[in-house]
Amino acid sequence: MQSKLSDIELIEQVLAGNQAAYADLVKRHQRFIFTLALRFSKNREDAEEIAQDCFIKAYRSLASFQKQSKFSTWLYSIVYTTAMTFLRKKRLDTDSIDDENTYIQLENQSSALGNNMAEIKSRSHYLNQAIAQLLPDDAAIISLFYMGEQSLEEIGQALGIEANTVKVKLFRARQRLKEKLEKNLKGEVKELI
Amino acid sequence: MNTIEERLWNYIDGSCSEEERKAIDILITQDEAYRSKFEELLNFDSHLAKMGMDEPSMGFTFKVMEGIRAEEALKPLHARINKNIIKGIGGFFIITILFFVVYMLATTHIAPVNLSKGLSNGLKLPEGIKMPDLKNYFNKPVLEAFFCVDVVLGLFLFDAYLRRKKVSKQILK
Repeated sequence: MQSKLSDIELIEQVLAGNQAAYADLVKRHQRFIFTLALRFSKNREDAEEIAQDCFIKAYRSLASFQKQSKFSTWLYSIVYTTAMTFLRKKRLDTDSIDDENTYIQLENQSSALGNNMAEIKSRSHYLNQAIAQLLPDDAAIISLFYMGEQSLEEIGQALGIEANTVKVKLFRARQRLKEKLEKNLKGEVKELI
Repeated sequence: MNTIEERLWNYIDGSCSEEERKAIDILITQDEAYRSKFEELLNFDSHLAKMGMDEPSMGFTFKVMEGIRAEEALKPLHARINKNIIKGIGGFFIITILFFVVYMLATTHIAPVNLSKGLSNGLKLPEGIKMPDLKNYFNKPVLEAFFCVDVVLGLFLFDAYLRRKKVSKQILK
């Protein structure tokens, strides 16, 4: 069962020496941090490694958290830098996110499941698949805006860019996402967009 | 100049000005193209908002907490050692020394002394003062007890060190 205390209250407890309170913070944010890490890495194992690394880094520098912004916003900025460092280390080509393997996988699934696939699998599943094909920055902006419920200003703060730039990037990311969905689902896309 | 889609997204996100919002309100009610595009984008937006999140593995929180514990365990021994143990050992020695000093002073027999006589006899101790025989205090059982406590304290410290080392090794595996 998760704690009813606010993030700030839990942080204060952790700083006072109650390490168990940090487990509550992890439980509270792990799903989103993992999803965000997955958007960057495109791989569950790597995403877990990034998310774990992110939480450990956050614990290490918890005392430096200013409490002026939301804990989640601060956490997202750590995910972003951690993921970027991780990807650089793994020398992934982030420019070729239209990864052939990912796309082939999607096409195979489409042909195997037939025309009623949209009824069998959830819309969320298709959206997540399409997001996985986007550039990491686009995927992260969409995830932060919709899943993280972050404002344009907060996203800007997490990614280190201006709110107006976030607005433009979000618009372009949504357009690209629509294109991916149209490409992946062809006729069935009308149900989603 | 913003495209229709861009203006509508700003309208949906609530990031447009009041004037712009009013203008788009009118366009949506009067212009069929605007209305159809607006409905399409709104539908897309609502699907995005309902999008599910991925779940990490079952033991994710445990792994994070273990990672934190492993980091703590990897800190140098001098940084991790419990200061209370050091204080306890220090306190034990101070109390032991104080006990012996007080005991010696308490058991030393001091009788009234003729100082002038004492000085004339050189640096000899005054007649009334009898130095206690140290053999009475540092006898075998006392020394054995003292060394036993030292050995126990030493073993306790060594055990704590080995336990930490073992835990950090298990975590790193």
